[in-house]
Amino acid sequence: MLSSFLSNYRNVASLAFIVLAVVLVEFFEVRAAIYPSLLPFFEWLKYSSWIGYLGITYGSVYATVQAGHLISMAIIGGTVLVTDLRLLGVLLKNIPSETITKGTHQCFKYSLSVSIATGIFCAAGVADKVYYMPVFWIKMLALLAGSGFMFFIKQPLLNSRPHSEIGPWTLRMLAVASIFIWFTVAATGRWIGFS
Amino acid sequence: MLVSGYYSWNWLEATHVLTLMMSIGSLFIIDFRMLGWVLPDVSATAIADRLHKPMIIGFSIMFITGILLVYAKPVENVQSLWFRIKMILLVLAFINAWVFNSRMRAADGTWDSARVAPKPLRTGAIISLCLWCGVVAMGRFIPYDWVDCPKVSNTALLWASGCVEQLNAL
Repeated sequence: MLSSFLSNYRNVASLAFIVLAVVLVEFFEVRAAIYPSLLPFFEWLKYSSWIGYLGITYGSVYATVQAGHLISMAIIGGTVLVTDLRLLGVLLKNIPSETITKGTHQCFKYSLSVSIATGIFCAAGVADKVYYMPVFWIKMLALLAGSGFMFFIKQPLLNSRPHSEIGPWTLRMLAVASIFIWFTVAATGRWIGFS
Repeated sequence: MLVSGYYSWNWLEATHVLTLMMSIGSLFIIDFRMLGWVLPDVSATAIADRLHKPMIIGFSIMFITGILLVYAKPVENVQSLWFRIKMILLVLAFINAWVFNSRMRAADGTWDSARVAPKPLRTGAIISLCLWCGVVAMGRFIPYDWVDCPKVSNTALLWASGCVEQLNAL
């Protein structure tokens, strides 16, 4: 029974396992023990890695990559809004939501890859500062949650069957959760600049 | 008051940046559709028509917050080379959007279901993508002080940035 459950819901089970691991890590204060050991990595990222060197030395390169990060986040926002507003029945109502979901996912994956690559570069230039910022860690958690939600829950569920066979409230909840998570990623990212 | 209030300034700036996802996000989806990169099976004019509303809402919020941001720091912005280039790019982007829209309305509807739009519309989409990337980049450069008036001695740069005091002192 367990094996049939795991084979049917492999992605959801994987995500549940990750969430459980995070809860256990927090509960047994493993995070508090790991956190100080991450500082040398952040210091290396800023002072010894080539991306850190580029970011510190060439302000114009750093600002250009920041702009690339913003643009990729804007494209993520565009794909998320189009998909989720369609699932909510607000936009493009006469076009099947399956078409919209499939048609925007590739673009979402590319822009997420660009935003992660540019985000690493941006973080490297100020690694010793972001390490101490709670809002940076909240953003990382939100990014993990958003990516996990997208690739392990939302997409597998939306691709598993015609959307007419999925409950309308399930579709609406998927859309609202997705908008909320990605808004959190963007908002916390912006707040890093103010901290 | 806007600048001195920690939260008022941050909320204003954050709203200005976050509405990028709504305005430029929607705009890029329309441009990508014209180039056949997203939703190639969906009617191009349907995408353009339906995304028009969220895009306009996003741009309206961006303009209101943008005007307030300039109003809060008028001298820094008006004497910023990046701000001036951003404004020029914005004007060009709006002219391009107007031309693009007119061409789309005037075009023969047979291309609507094609994977890629006709060449003039694709050109308009590429110009739009470049101009808006430029607008975002210039906006990102504004806080940096590389070419602020007190740091520049080049006459052309001083003129382009509108550094009246420094130009008069030469």
